[in-house]
This record gives sequence, structure tokens and C-alpha cells, in this order.
Amino acid sequence: MRGILLLAAFAAALIPALLPAQSQPTNPFSSKADFEEGRHLYRLNCGVCHGLEGKSGRGARLALHEHRRGNTDAELFAVIQNGVPGTDMPGLWLDEDEIWKVLLVVRSFEVDAGAACEARPGEAAKGKELYYQKGACSSCHTIGMGGGRLGPDLTAIGSNYDREQLRTALLEPSKDVAARYKAVRVVHRGKSVEGALMKEDGYTLHLMDREENLHSFSKSELETIEKPEESLMPAYGSLISGSDLDDLLAYMCTLTGNASEEPSE
Amino acid sequence: MSRLLTVLVLLAASAAAQVSNDDLLRAGERPGDWLTYNGDYSGLRHSGLAELTPENVSSLRIKWVFQTKTTQKFETTPLVFDGAMYITVPPNDVFALDAESGVVLWRYSRNLPPNLIACCGLVNRGLAALGDRLFMATLDSHVVALDRKTGRVLWDREMFDYKQGYAATLAPLIVKDKVLVGVAGGEYGIRGFVEAYGIEDGKRAWRFYTSPGPGEFGNDTWADDSWKTGGASIWVTPSYDPESNLVYWGVGNPGPDWNGDVRKGDNLFSDSVVAVDADTGKRKWHFQFTPHDVHDWDAVQVMVLLDKKWEGRDRKLLVTANRNGFYYVLDRLTGEFLHGSPFVKQTWAKGLDENGRPILEPGKAPSEEGVHVYPMVAGGTNWMSPTYSPKTGLYYVSCREGGSMYYKGPAEYRPGTRYWGSMFMNDEVQDDWYGAVRALDPLTGKKVWEHKLFSPAWAGLISTAGGLVFAGTEEGYFKALDAGTGKELWRINLGGRIIANPISFESKGRQNMAIAAGSSLFVFARP
Repeated sequence: MRGILLLAAFAAALIPALLPAQSQPTNPFSSKADFEEGRHLYRLNCGVCHGLEGKSGRGARLALHEHRRGNTDAELFAVIQNGVPGTDMPGLWLDEDEIWKVLLVVRSFEVDAGAACEARPGEAAKGKELYYQKGACSSCHTIGMGGGRLGPDLTAIGSNYDREQLRTALLEPSKDVAARYKAVRVVHRGKSVEGALMKEDGYTLHLMDREENLHSFSKSELETIEKPEESLMPAYGSLISGSDLDDLLAYMCTLTGNASEEPSE
Repeated sequence: MSRLLTVLVLLAASAAAQVSNDDLLRAGERPGDWLTYNGDYSGLRHSGLAELTPENVSSLRIKWVFQTKTTQKFETTPLVFDGAMYITVPPNDVFALDAESGVVLWRYSRNLPPNLIACCGLVNRGLAALGDRLFMATLDSHVVALDRKTGRVLWDREMFDYKQGYAATLAPLIVKDKVLVGVAGGEYGIRGFVEAYGIEDGKRAWRFYTSPGPGEFGNDTWADDSWKTGGASIWVTPSYDPESNLVYWGVGNPGPDWNGDVRKGDNLFSDSVVAVDADTGKRKWHFQFTPHDVHDWDAVQVMVLLDKKWEGRDRKLLVTANRNGFYYVLDRLTGEFLHGSPFVKQTWAKGLDENGRPILEPGKAPSEEGVHVYPMVAGGTNWMSPTYSPKTGLYYVSCREGGSMYYKGPAEYRPGTRYWGSMFMNDEVQDDWYGAVRALDPLTGKKVWEHKLFSPAWAGLISTAGGLVFAGTEEGYFKALDAGTGKELWRINLGGRIIANPISFESKGRQNMAIAAGSSLFVFARP
């Protein structure tokens, strides 16, 4: 087999167009055997991004009562079959029965799921103030249509991550940095430039600095290229702690991707 | 009289424009055309055209571009003859283009069933041609013969039921009066085979199972009934030695890929090269690179056939850089192992014994917790073509440096579903991954030079008589290297991944280069 691992997303991209839409409005499967088969398929197709319990944080969180892209069987079937354009979620080249069985597994995550992110303890309103004022989070992060572009978009952060994951991200931001937000530091004509690595190939390197300026370099003109392990984001433990931290986490848990969540600085 | 003369002249012209068996045998003497997937029977992927040289290649320019609408990987190797270029476009379309301008002459669009089963994309790697016919192996596991002037279907045969995981993605090979093909599906528990169909009538002439059944040689290398779902698929075009009449098939991984518990034994002929008589389909010899593979290291590389002096005497050799990280030299008449050495970093074997069998490092088989092994799952190289230049005497290969985490998981066979024996692995590019075009001494496997690539590439190579090697990259660069030194001489960003092999041909007296990149086919020439 060729590089299945790297290529499956590409492989899956076209296929949904060839598949028929589901012929039933609700899941016709329910038995234990159906579930077991669904779990087998889930492990093969979904587990890497969504996690075996549906809460990895890498793909959309599935251990939820309210899914972002719809909650009916038909809506979720369509998401699994067609993928979500503009995201890393590909459509799956499973047949109709298999998709229904995978959906059984997704539904099983909803039992005892609770909210992805517990909004308590803490006061979200205070947390929002901290987000925009003391924390200056919006200088690098976007919610809805407002904010910075240096760090990850947080519009739906509360539906994908639980409170502990968010706490870790705030206190130990270098622990797990997504590929797109890795730091890079280069020296060009004696001058050091630091930022997030946008793109690199054999000949060129492109970064966004902290003021959101894009810098494009020919690698042959760079004196040094360093890729520090540390995140560009500061660790927030010394700035925000105790009940402030609870407030900020409470606010972040309310960020579930709703359009109404606009910044109000 | 004059009318008769005209008819005769027309007939002669038409015959000359066709591809004859003689042309295929002497493809190297007709460098203006590109008549087979590999360019010739020996698998050299070498162009005899010498217009482009290290001195003038920097003046290479885009001549035309053919844009497809595919979102699949575009892996075609074009065929070019009689002023036309024939390409496949995913999933199973065929286009005839004017080779000088890129204008579409006709299109064949195959009406495929839904729910096709393909591990790695709805891809196709190209066509075969003979006479006025083109041949394509299809994703629904058929072989189709088309009229090369119109695209009309002449015959259409089913190889096997696609619903059971059988597909075909390779460019067929023509030998004499037969078209040779094989089945993909090594991730779906198929039982692999190669087979031959009559050019004229499309009748099956023979079939050879690469996962042998009871009474067949090698069946005892599969525990219980595991041969029935043993994979050993075929998805890259073989090489052929007309003198011995042997076809050299590189065979794919055993199934399930990463869990070997249900298929104890060596699992012949998975991960092997099998020399098969072109007329009868009978096995003459085989050599297994990776017995009882649990890392998914298909031996699908194009086997390169060389006539060289070996320890003082002339030998017919077969050389190949294998996905498992070793470079091999075999006697192609007997299969005798002559040499093997790593060409990329590998950590799974202590080395090879005197018969070429790997001496395993303990603890390198996949486990539920995962184990890190070099080379990566995609291998030290993969299906992208190597090239050999008679001019420099060097073998060139696109190398993939890096390791993977290998996981083992449940392996339960269900027809038409993935039979992997593992979870879908999270195999993001690691920091130490990189690619390289390497020139090897074909007899020793020793590195003569290397040209590093930013990341492991999926693009094949071509060497030219003008002293160049062309390569492609994952980032979309198509580039020319000095065949003698590896120095980069020219490059262009084509704006899409290159997952294809380059070719060269002549049009209007000029040497052209062609490569598929992204969803388009690009043709280059000097102004």
C-alpha cells in the first residue's frame, strides 16, 4: 500500500460525489453487532483525529449533546458522508450501512458526555474582560470576525476542548503546538525576524511576525534558521491565576462557534 | 496505378504511425516517442534525446498546459507517438491530445460504478499501446481496449469483481500479442494475480496468482487459509527481457498489512519480484525482499534490467531500490542474489544474509503500543520510477528518509473492506524526514551523489542523453539536475504536488519534457 497515512484525506475528497444520499431519515441499525462493526470502522477511519472516545481535541469533539453541524441522524449522516468543506474532515468512502453503523458509535459518545467544556467554576463575563483586557488574547487570537491571526482561531474552542485541555494550553502553551503555529526565527542580512512559520519549501520560507507582517525569504539569503520548541504564546500562569483563571476558562467554554459571539471590546 | 501508389503510401504512413511490437522492442532507438510506461522494456526511463543539456536547460519554458478537473492524485505517465499524446485522468478518463499544442482530440470517459474501493485514491498511472489500440486497466477491475484514433471501445473484460476489493491502477504492458495487467487491493484482502489478455479479442490467455493456492508453489508459506486473503497485489508496470521472455513483476504487501499473526510464514510472493514467462504465465523464479512483511513494504518499484560485467563476467542483472530500504542486485535469469545494501536509513534488519534474506532486528514488528522503525511506512522509496542512464552508468532513485510509528491492531477479514490489521495511523511528517535524489553505483549500491529535497517526494525520475536527470517534489517543483554531479540547473514551481513520472519526447524537431503536477499536465521545451 502506498502512503495511506498521508493520502487518505485526498483519496476521500472526491468520492462522496459518487455515493448515493442516505435512503432513510433515521438510523436503521441498533444492534450490539451493528455497534461493534461501527466501532471497528470508527477506529479505522475516525479515531486518529477524533480520538477513540470522541474527545481528542484534534478533530471536532464528538462527545457532545449538541453537534455543531446538526443533530439529526440525517444531518450527521451527511457530515460523515460528505465531510465538512473548509476543514480537515473528509467524506468517508463507506457504504450507506457502514456510515449508519459509525453513527451508532458517535451517538454512544453522547451518553454521559456533558458539556465539552464545563463553564463552572468561574464567571464567564469576568473572563471575557480578562480575555480582551489583561490577557490581551485578542491581539493574537480571533473570535468570530475580530482579533489577531497569529494564533489559532478560538471561535469554537469551547466545543472542541475540555476545561483541562484549555488550562494546559494556557499554562503550558509549548506542550503541544499545532504545526501551523510553530515558531521560527531567522537572521536575514544581520537582522533577526521571529514569528509563526507559514510555509517552507526547499527554496523559500514565509513567516508572520507578531505584528502580523508577512515576511517571505529566499532561503539562500538567510544566515540562520532556528525553530524553537517554545510556542509564540506566553505561559499565562504568572499573569492570570486563581479565580481569574477560572473566569477565563469559563468564558472560553462559552465559545462554541455561534455567529452571535462577536467581540465587544 | 497512381491511385494504388497513393493507397500504398497511405498504408505505409499509417503503419509507420502505429506502434508495432518491433517498435516496443527497440523503443530506445525511437527516442522522439514515448511508447510504454517505462519508456522501454528494461525499465530504464531514459530518453535518447540530447537537445537539452546542462548548458541550455535553463532556457526551458512551459510550452502548454492541459488542465483537468480532477481532485484526485494525477499520476499518469503519458504515451506519445504519431504527433499525439495519450493520458489517463482520474478516475478512468482517457484523453488524446495534440502533442504540439495540447489541444484535445478526443476523450473517453468511463462510466464507473459508485462505491469503488481503492486504498489510496481513484488513481491511474497510464496506458499501453499497440497497433492502433490503447489499453487501460480500470478502477472497477476491468481491462479496456480503445481505438487510439477515436477513443471507441473495442473490448472490455472484467478481471475480477471490484466489490470484493479488486481494482487496477497500473499502466498495462504489451508483450507480443498480449496485454499484461495485475490487480490492486492489497489493503482489502484480495488474492493477487497477474494475467494476460489477447490484444485482438481480449480473451484471457493466462493468470498467475501472486498468492498461491493449494498445490501451487509457495502455498505452504501461508498459514491455514490466509493465502485466500493474502493481498500480494500488483500496481506498477513490470519490466520485460525479450531474450529470456521473462516479465519481472514487483509484488505488493501481504494482507493484513501490519498484523502478521493470521498469516504465519513467508507469504510468497508478497514483497517479491517474480519472473514469469510472458507466453505461459509460468513462474521461472522469484526473489522475496521482505519475507513475512509487517511494515507494508510492497516491492512495487520498477525493476531495472542491466547487462553488466559482474566479477569479471557478463551478467544479465536486475537492480532495484526496495521500499524496505535496501538496494539489490540480482541475476535476472536465475534470481540469484548478488548484492544488497541499505540506500536509506533502516533499523529493522541487521543486514542481509548470503541469500539476501534479511537478518531481523528484534522488537521492530508493529505492536499495540507502537514501535518506531526506519524506513517510514511509505518506504525508502515507493512506486515512483527510478532511472538508469547508459551515458553516466548511474542508477538514480528518489529516496524517502525517515521513520514511522507502526501499530498492530485487530485483523478480521470482511469482503470489500479494509484489511489492515492496524488502526489508521497518525503519521504526521516528522522533523527528521527529508527526501533526496540519489545517484548510486548500480553494482555496489554506493552513493555517488545526492541532491536533497525538502521533504520525501512522490515524483519519479528520468535521465536524458543530454546529461540531465529531471525530478519532482512534494512542494511542486519540477527541476533538472546534472546527471554527473547532481547540481541543480533549472527549476520551476508548478503549483501542485508532483505524484507522477516525467517523460521526454520530440515534437517539431524539439525535445519536450512532460510531467503531471497538481491537476494539470505540463509540457516544456526551449523557445
